[in-house]
Amino acid sequence: MTGLASPPMPRPLRRLARLALAAAACATALLPAVAAAQETIRFGAPLPMTGPLAPEALKQQQGYDLWAEQVNKAGGINVGGRRMKVEIVYIDYQSNTPRAVQAAERLITQEKVHFLFSPFGSGAAKAASTVSEKHGVPTIAPTASSAQVYDQGYKNLFGTFTPNETLTEPLANIVAQKAPGVKRVAILARNDLFPLAIAQEMEKSAKARGMNVVMFERYAINTMDHSAVMAKIKSVSPHWIFATGYINDLVLIKKQMADQRIEAPVVTMIAGPAYQEFIDAAGKGAENISSAAWWHPAARYKGTDVFGTSENYNKLFQARYKTEPDYAQASASVAGVLFQMAIEKAGTLDRAKVRETLAGMNVMTFYGPVTFGPTGQITSLEPPVFQIQNGRNVVVHPPSIRQGEFRLGVK
Amino acid sequence: MFLLQILANGIVLGCLYACIAAGFSLVWGVLNVINLMHGSFIVLGSYLAWAAYNGLGISPWITLLVAAPLFYGAGWLMQRGVLNRVIAAPVLVTLTLTFGLDLMLNNAMLLAFKADYRKLILDPPLGTLALGSVVVPVDRLVAMLFALVLTAALYLILRKSRVGRAIIAVRLDRDAATLMGVHVKSIYAAAFGFGAAMAGCAGVLLALIFPISPLSSTAYLGKAFVVCVLGGLGSVPGAVLGGLVLGILESFGAMAFGPEHAVTLSFGLLILFLIFRPQGLIGRRGFD
Repeated sequence: MTGLASPPMPRPLRRLARLALAAAACATALLPAVAAAQETIRFGAPLPMTGPLAPEALKQQQGYDLWAEQVNKAGGINVGGRRMKVEIVYIDYQSNTPRAVQAAERLITQEKVHFLFSPFGSGAAKAASTVSEKHGVPTIAPTASSAQVYDQGYKNLFGTFTPNETLTEPLANIVAQKAPGVKRVAILARNDLFPLAIAQEMEKSAKARGMNVVMFERYAINTMDHSAVMAKIKSVSPHWIFATGYINDLVLIKKQMADQRIEAPVVTMIAGPAYQEFIDAAGKGAENISSAAWWHPAARYKGTDVFGTSENYNKLFQARYKTEPDYAQASASVAGVLFQMAIEKAGTLDRAKVRETLAGMNVMTFYGPVTFGPTGQITSLEPPVFQIQNGRNVVVHPPSIRQGEFRLGVK
Repeated sequence: MFLLQILANGIVLGCLYACIAAGFSLVWGVLNVINLMHGSFIVLGSYLAWAAYNGLGISPWITLLVAAPLFYGAGWLMQRGVLNRVIAAPVLVTLTLTFGLDLMLNNAMLLAFKADYRKLILDPPLGTLALGSVVVPVDRLVAMLFALVLTAALYLILRKSRVGRAIIAVRLDRDAATLMGVHVKSIYAAAFGFGAAMAGCAGVLLALIFPISPLSSTAYLGKAFVVCVLGGLGSVPGAVLGGLVLGILESFGAMAFGPEHAVTLSFGLLILFLIFRPQGLIGRRGFD
């Protein structure tokens, strides 16, 4: 009868076993906390290091690393008189948003990070923001611009990109001024939070200037063949083609536009043309493609942060990575800078106090002036509009940093 | 004219799909093995073309000549060494085996090449060809022609050559073929080899058109599935027909319902066919 079941443990022994188990659990839970209590401040960074968004992750990582190196070289962050080094803990979430949420949770509960950077893009940043809110961890999103990320009433989420219309409005202004003949607009959007949201803003900006949106199509994430929609774009003969997505989507779209000889006076793509990789991959076809972003290496700000001026940031970045920085890298760096400034001002690592300091922040950085609005999204930037001319990104707006005139005609 | 352009796009795309699916269909039809590595084989072919062009300056057309025997050999070894051990087991066993092998292959590719998208950009580019107002990119056109030639070659091998007839014989009746002196294990290996060679060649051709990444393998595999079910299993003409139907349908479907529904459309069709016409458009059990 009792042959299969193990004999019951005597009661005192069972209690002892339970105690031992509890002790072991406590010890494992405490260990990382003890380690973290040493001289470093740990920042968690869930990133899509593999998968379709890998190029974007690399940029964010470069931005964080450059900041961490600079801070550590200067002795670390001054926390109430004590210098503490910075450590960034990365987790790869393989371009898979549900895994980004798990990664954020793991960083907070197991890796015991003090503060968190959001995963890449609006969609993943929004998904992961719930985790940081639940644990009360101040989080800065360096690459999320859509208002839908910030309108959840969360207290711990801050973002360094202004809302999407701050890109589409100046773009539409420039086109309306320089090319009054532009009336027919075709919009092609990746069916994803940010790319779709900014496409919808573009639709509003175009309509507000009396332009006619003759086509608005969305394509599924990971689409490889756009030939059908290209035929449709051609059939509506637009003056302005506005395509959204991430760099790999946009390189593919440009190639398939050329495949069907689609030309237009104005072609705008967001977000990709800001990257040198886009210009390299699209080659001559990239000429005169316009775009807008939240920062540009032509910016000339005089900050009070560890990088100081925009020029100095460019110089340090060039020296470290042998290429010009773009807005994604700068935004990641400034996210670190803002944590640093908030911690130093608060004089403590206390999350609630750092959060409060961030919320009331009004500082000048190499990235531009930074103040956060009531939802936590930055309100103080004027994003530049630029255009690829002779294989380089040339700023055409705002006038203070303009490098060239807006040109028409994309082949 | 606009409809002609859509049709042209659909036909070109359809031929590429046929090329993706032909080898998959052969292996499924003859061996009754659903080779889940097929998509990864295609991607591997693309990497071969990419590395040969960017590293050694070898044109993809020459790579094609190398890829066919190379992938045939790899497929042959794979079948002989691994798959033949479980070939008589129920289909789920071979499915699980190829699933596991695919996980290994795909992750090995992720390690070796990273998930970044690579592009094979020919210099000078092949450009486009205009017939009236219909514009077709030459790279797609060439890939389409090669795809048709390759598929025709596979068809002829199956129809005319000794090994081809033996493959068909085994497919018809394994026991009878064995009695007639056909060495079934070698024939299985040959069939799998042909399937792998088709996948590798398709990969070389697609490298010119689509970005290359280990993550594309599932997309290719998905298309191969749909095309096979549409056209009929194990039938080479069926793969061409299935590919064309899918290409044209996606092309017009994207027009009518928007491009974001292209995938829904093809898998919706897959389900309809599985319910109402599981043998496919021209599939018959047995002879090809």
